[in-house]
Amino acid sequence: MATIPANTRLVSQRTASGRLGAVVKAAREAPLMAVVILGGLIVVALLADLIAPYDPTVPVKGAEMFVPPFWMDGGSLATPLGTDFQGRDILSRLIYGARVSLIVGLMGTLVAGGLGTGLGILSGYIGGWVDQIIMRVTDAWLALPAIVFAIFLAAMVGPSMWNIIVILGLVYWTRYARVIRGEVLSLRERDFVKLAEIAGASKLRVIRKHILPNVLNTATVLASLTVGVVIIAEASLSFLGVGVPPPQPAWGLMLSEARPTLMAGQWWLTVFPGFCILLIVLATQLFGDWLRVRLDPQTRNL
Amino acid sequence: MQRPRFEAYSVFTLIAAALVLVAIASTAIPFAAPAGAAAKGKLTLAWHAGLASRWLDPQEHDGTATPDNFFTAIHDALIKNQGTQLYDHPALAEKFSVANDAKSATFTLRRGIKFHNGDPVTPQDVKFSYENYRGAKADVFKKKTDRIEIVDDRTVRFVFKEPFLDFAILFGTANVAAPGWVVPEKYYKQVGPDAFKQKPIGAGPYKLVRHEPGVRLEMEAFDGYYRPVNVKQLVMISVPEAATRVAMLERGEADIVYNVPGELITKVGKLPGVTLAPVLSGSFFIEFPGFQDPKNPFHDKRVREAVSLAVDRRAMNQAETAGMGKATGNWINNDVQYAIEWPEFPRNVDKAKQLLREAGYPNGFDVDWVTPLPTFYSRGERLIAQLREVGIRGRLQTMERGIFLQRLQGGLREFPGTQIILHGVRIAGSWSFWYEGYFKCGGFSSRDRICVKDLDGKFDQYERSINPAERKKLAEEIQRGILENYYLVPVFRHAFVNAIGPRVALQKWEDVFPTITTGYAYPWEDIKVKD
Amino acid sequence: MSQFIIRRVLYSVVTLVILSATIFLIVRLTGDPVALMTEASARPEDLERIRHQWGLDRSWPVQYVTFMQNALTGELGKSFNYRMPVSELYFQRLPNSLTLGLAATLISLLIGIPAGIISAVKVNSAWDNVAKGVALLGLSIPGFWLGLVLILTFSVWLRWLPTSGAGDWRHVVMPALALGWYFAASMLRLTRSSMLEVLGSEYIKLARLKGLPDFVVIAMHAFKNALIPVFTLAGVNMVVMVNAAVIIEVIFAWPGIGRLLYEGIFQRDFPLVQGVVVMAGFMIVGINLFVDILYAFIDPRIRLSR
Repeated sequence: MATIPANTRLVSQRTASGRLGAVVKAAREAPLMAVVILGGLIVVALLADLIAPYDPTVPVKGAEMFVPPFWMDGGSLATPLGTDFQGRDILSRLIYGARVSLIVGLMGTLVAGGLGTGLGILSGYIGGWVDQIIMRVTDAWLALPAIVFAIFLAAMVGPSMWNIIVILGLVYWTRYARVIRGEVLSLRERDFVKLAEIAGASKLRVIRKHILPNVLNTATVLASLTVGVVIIAEASLSFLGVGVPPPQPAWGLMLSEARPTLMAGQWWLTVFPGFCILLIVLATQLFGDWLRVRLDPQTRNL
Repeated sequence: MQRPRFEAYSVFTLIAAALVLVAIASTAIPFAAPAGAAAKGKLTLAWHAGLASRWLDPQEHDGTATPDNFFTAIHDALIKNQGTQLYDHPALAEKFSVANDAKSATFTLRRGIKFHNGDPVTPQDVKFSYENYRGAKADVFKKKTDRIEIVDDRTVRFVFKEPFLDFAILFGTANVAAPGWVVPEKYYKQVGPDAFKQKPIGAGPYKLVRHEPGVRLEMEAFDGYYRPVNVKQLVMISVPEAATRVAMLERGEADIVYNVPGELITKVGKLPGVTLAPVLSGSFFIEFPGFQDPKNPFHDKRVREAVSLAVDRRAMNQAETAGMGKATGNWINNDVQYAIEWPEFPRNVDKAKQLLREAGYPNGFDVDWVTPLPTFYSRGERLIAQLREVGIRGRLQTMERGIFLQRLQGGLREFPGTQIILHGVRIAGSWSFWYEGYFKCGGFSSRDRICVKDLDGKFDQYERSINPAERKKLAEEIQRGILENYYLVPVFRHAFVNAIGPRVALQKWEDVFPTITTGYAYPWEDIKVKD
Repeated sequence: MSQFIIRRVLYSVVTLVILSATIFLIVRLTGDPVALMTEASARPEDLERIRHQWGLDRSWPVQYVTFMQNALTGELGKSFNYRMPVSELYFQRLPNSLTLGLAATLISLLIGIPAGIISAVKVNSAWDNVAKGVALLGLSIPGFWLGLVLILTFSVWLRWLPTSGAGDWRHVVMPALALGWYFAASMLRLTRSSMLEVLGSEYIKLARLKGLPDFVVIAMHAFKNALIPVFTLAGVNMVVMVNAAVIIEVIFAWPGIGRLLYEGIFQRDFPLVQGVVVMAGFMIVGINLFVDILYAFIDPRIRLSR
């Protein structure tokens, strides 16, 4: 019988009030900068319609293209962070872009996490040939380059933000499957699971009540680390021409569209979206690191 | 990296006279001293896309205007497009003539011309190259040619089954077809078509020294060429990323750089010692798929005219190509046979709104999708903004280039509802290729989306006719019909802007880009680098 | 043991078959290469001719069978665009990708390991955060942007390095940095946690008790042991890098496999895409197999597991 590490809290033994207390305690210990950044971005994304000065997809009336930020020669406070190749306001695009980046990041991670965790649980718990098939598919999937996928999907369904989310989910689920499967394999051998099985609980019930909740910790940690990766991947997909379709503002798309201007000196077109991406990814990574240490010592070495 | 097709399509001509029936007496180009002795220096070209090995074999010319950049360095033809001559510049042939009845064409080869491996270029090679040609328009040549006669050790005659009026254009335009580009029969058969594409041997000014497929081509001046070759080493590198190409130019790693993107034109023009070469290239025009359907708002000619009045061609030109393109005019470039000149379309927002009111759209209407040629999305966005001013509201639809081409192939069912397509293309040779591809019912691009019966009927007449005067008249009528009815709305002519570095000797950019039918810098042998 | 090997080999084969069938299907569902290879005024005869030349007019099952048959003899098809065997193209480009992958791995180690050590030794201090920040920066900046900024800075402004292409070591530096920084973060994490574990171990406590200075403790004892998992991860990452360096290769015009694949996809060069993906899969599956067998040798428990 394996010994259970001392600081593991078996979910089936937690009470409701205990959980709430744990959350509050956790919130106070979280890395401040990360929380502030993420919180700020979420607020901006939610209130975009109120705070953005212009429609991000339409050129600003009367503004030229490539207007620099207001503190530079030729800049104007009407378009404080400057304008792009189409004459659209950068600030508005950044604000609305927060929405896209957050949605793509979170939803993409959710899709990847959901798919990967689901398959990982099936693979680990049911075992046998189901496990073998899923593992072989995982291996094959890893060898498949993401771009082939992305173009294939874009060909089938057309480019849109939601399709990007699906694409990214399909690219990153393998990370979860492997790790979750490992977790489930060890969970299977635990007393409380074995007890439930002996007591006659159906496979589905065991998964729902015992496996899944315990696996969620690992999944959450993985998710927090994946969000940043997914957001960067959105930029990569834009570079390849299969990202979020213009004129929708997305930071990765803004960065990719403005590539030539790097050589022409219109630095604001790339530095601002790049900085935003940096902020959100840094924040999620720091947050994820902290979560990892707190939630599950077993994943410390991820 | 997608390779933008249309700007490679070259055609750039002034007036196309009645070509085929005129026997052109060409003056023999005086023999120059063997090239190798004088050749020195190195020229590096940064090519803006991928580098397919099949482009090194003229026998399998795909009909696009891309391979000519490469095979014009390694190979040569009997007659070709060079400088201001659209197809009839005598190259390997010192003279040629087409019979008055257009049923035969006779070419006389120069003396002493050789392939890179030392073998002489013979009429037998010419015959082989023609008969073995499997590229674009091959079926046209095969169908119309009766036989090839080798008259003597320097003369070849092509005999046709019926008057072949388009022969010289098709034969001599390097970005249309290439049966006249002579390959060595013995070598070609010996190594086979695939190996030939890895190690091609031709009769052109440069011989291939090193070939890294998809990466670079290194060539050296061929000292057996019948013209002097100035630069000894010619290197072509594939650099798909525009920003990197510009960096190479700034760093002096590339002497000629193709396709400077719109955002960088101004800055590159200001670099010390750099000259911009804004070659007029493809034509951008608007198509209204399914406008024949009475329920489609574009069914009404007034609505189409309103679109034309709403488009700000000059602003588009200024923003997208720093003003180096040209507001049009005819949607067909003026450098192909029988293309008509047409005045620039005016812009009048008020009149556009009035026409829309008359047509029953006082508040404008919605367009489901506006689809520009990938990857020119910014043009699509500008078009949408311009249309919005008169009340026509559209959404941009983007897609990857391969998918776009596929959907065009699918015809109307791929473009349901109310849609606008912003095409961009450059086609060489004749106006009829434009019509055939982009307007005719069943055309490669147009499919079933346009189908104007009476114009198609006239086009059939045109094709059947063997009277040049009649053909010209029909051509003009058809183009007039398209433009007056706004079946297609021309926007502007794109500038394929290249940049020439300080090491290249020139007085004006046309010295390096003299051939008006192409966006590329050939003839390669004429380019000079400073010491 | 042999049973284990046979089983693992069988799994690898199954994986490769799944992979080849998947890529075969996907590639054909992305569109028609023939349209991309002809010009705007092409006629149906032109299209048919090319289609026939390339065997694309046969039914899919027939094409697949031919593909698999050829694959078994090592011939992965002939590229539409390059007209040479895909395997030849692949092996021509592989050394370049390996060079880049190796250099990038080195960079990721050069950034990640020192950052991880500092982070572990000065745990939870400002230095910890700085080290983490530096490594995390690689995760937070898209590679293409970093690559272009590097070109702008070191090539155009400072004129220290060439802009692009392959060549001597000077050509590798920037692409390796743009590619490798991304992986530095995982190196840092692993180094850090390994170090922390080792630093907290009995062995180290004893060394400290003996009076050895911290520096010696770290350098001589902790470091060595902590690095084993790090290098394992580096090996795995390198395989990923070789296959995933597409964007960096395009930016720097680096003649690697990623760029080959990228251009092949946009050209719908079916045999090329199929061949490259299968070769890459072969490499990945092969390395996994090798590592599995190696571990099985070392650890008998693994042999007996499923």
